[in-house]
Amino acid sequence: MAQEEKKDEAEVKPAPRGGITRRGLFIGVGSTAALLGLGALRYAGHNPLNRPPGGTDEAHLVSGCIRCERCYEACPREAIVPAKIEDGLLGMRSPMLDFNTGNYCDFCYEENGGNPLCVAVCPTAALELPAAFTVGNPETGETGDIIIGTAEIDPRTCLAYRMTGCRDCYDACNYSAIELKDEGGANPIPYVVEDKCNGCGACQAACLSLSSGSIKSTERAIVVRPIEA
Amino acid sequence: MAQKKETTEASVSSQAAGVKGKGSANALAAKLKTRRLRTAVGAVVFVGMAAGLVAGVSMGTMSGFGWDTFSMLCPLGALGTMIATKTVIPRAVVSLVLIAALVLVFGRAFCSWLCPTMLIDRVRDFFRSPKKRRELAEKKNSEIKAISQQELTSLKAAKDGHACGACGKCQPVHHGKVDSRHAVLGGALLSTAVFGFPVFCLVCPVGLTFATVLVIWRAFAHGDATIGLILIPAMLVIELVVLRKWCSNFCPLSALMNLVGRFSRTFVPTINDEKCLETARATSCSKCAEVCDADINIRHPEFGLRTMADCTRCRNCVDVCPTHAITMPVFVGKKAGKTVVEIPDPVMDDLEPKLD
Repeated sequence: MAQEEKKDEAEVKPAPRGGITRRGLFIGVGSTAALLGLGALRYAGHNPLNRPPGGTDEAHLVSGCIRCERCYEACPREAIVPAKIEDGLLGMRSPMLDFNTGNYCDFCYEENGGNPLCVAVCPTAALELPAAFTVGNPETGETGDIIIGTAEIDPRTCLAYRMTGCRDCYDACNYSAIELKDEGGANPIPYVVEDKCNGCGACQAACLSLSSGSIKSTERAIVVRPIEA
Repeated sequence: MAQKKETTEASVSSQAAGVKGKGSANALAAKLKTRRLRTAVGAVVFVGMAAGLVAGVSMGTMSGFGWDTFSMLCPLGALGTMIATKTVIPRAVVSLVLIAALVLVFGRAFCSWLCPTMLIDRVRDFFRSPKKRRELAEKKNSEIKAISQQELTSLKAAKDGHACGACGKCQPVHHGKVDSRHAVLGGALLSTAVFGFPVFCLVCPVGLTFATVLVIWRAFAHGDATIGLILIPAMLVIELVVLRKWCSNFCPLSALMNLVGRFSRTFVPTINDEKCLETARATSCSKCAEVCDADINIRHPEFGLRTMADCTRCRNCVDVCPTHAITMPVFVGKKAGKTVVEIPDPVMDDLEPKLD
């Protein structure tokens, strides 16, 4: 059947029979150029973001993520949100952890026995963990080997540095990663023990510095910074 | 002054056409029963998925529908992510096989029953002025009527002994095996391979539709203001409104489904020549081609901009056929459409193209 068709085609004048039209060619070439231009965004990069567990290999995450939004849905604590365009066009709508809403990541220790649900549902393995891993254990206080980032305190905005006695981050930390200078004294001041911090964000979620009113800053006094890849 | 006169004339004539046009547009809308059903199905699925996205019910969106560890990925996303990471991802392979099987059975049915761009198109239609709607319909109508008439003339010639007449093969064909969409698909995959990330996912209208829902919801629920609130819908508008005919000229997903859909032999609309007005009574009709959203001309496939590979199983042609000659049988033995028309003798006597 197909052969017959071909024969007929050969007999008739090679008018605009089949093939791609000029308009089609224009669309094809234009779109390919546009998509290649969009691809070049890869070199533009974006601001470093706190990625969900298994997403700290930035290059792998960007390659694998198709922005299907399943990890946002899966996160039992609604800590995963789509990255904004302000952080870079390349990362737009890719998953990041937002601790400013009062949510933090417990690696699904409570909800799924320490098997992060975002990693489990990710259909493209953009979020991927090694075969054997241990997550931070809030009961024993072990840090685990999944590290999202490291907390950092800004002395200029931290309430404790203003002698208020605030120690909310210290109380929030499950892994003894925040200790107090002058504990028991009049003005205990928190500092981060980097080796013990896994970047879960509980401290940032609990930080009151921005809600206390008088402090002008764009971010909280304690924030989790993504680890350098 | 002359211009003014022209516009008044035009408005008078369009008013006259308006009376008739409005009536026929309503009649057409009433006939396309499945169209309403499709809109409803698409809307229910979309609202369900959007609500799930907002409420955090883990069932995914159309980019990756599924629950727990099962998911049915968008085929282009699955291909893209595997090319970008240069690894074989089991869930992506499973999705590709599943989708290929579905397309083999139902063709591009996703496009007319589920795709959210179909809903956006409906919304657009709704806000279009009746005048504009009529203009569009009339333009398509006149083009197709002309084709139909041409076909009948050549039928007559065929009866007089000219051998190739009825088959229409000496007419220029308007479509090829590949078109601009395939070039967009190639460009998307090329860019993915070069830069190592699924490039098209950034601008995919299906993904952007759900992203719009999410970004609006986040703005209200969390006071999360971002430029994305404007940019994401703007990208959608550029793709679906400014770039005309996204689905049949640009969409790489449609291209991908077209590649598999061309082998589909199930639920393909098929004309019963004994009932069809053109073959049974030699009357020019071509209503089926007129209502086809995929630009296929079932009666005269050579004249369609697209082939049966692009059939979205929308059932518009089945619904509109005045003699109910079109059906969608579960299995179509041979490739539909290439019938050589034979006209019963009594009809040949008054074979003058009839137009209403």
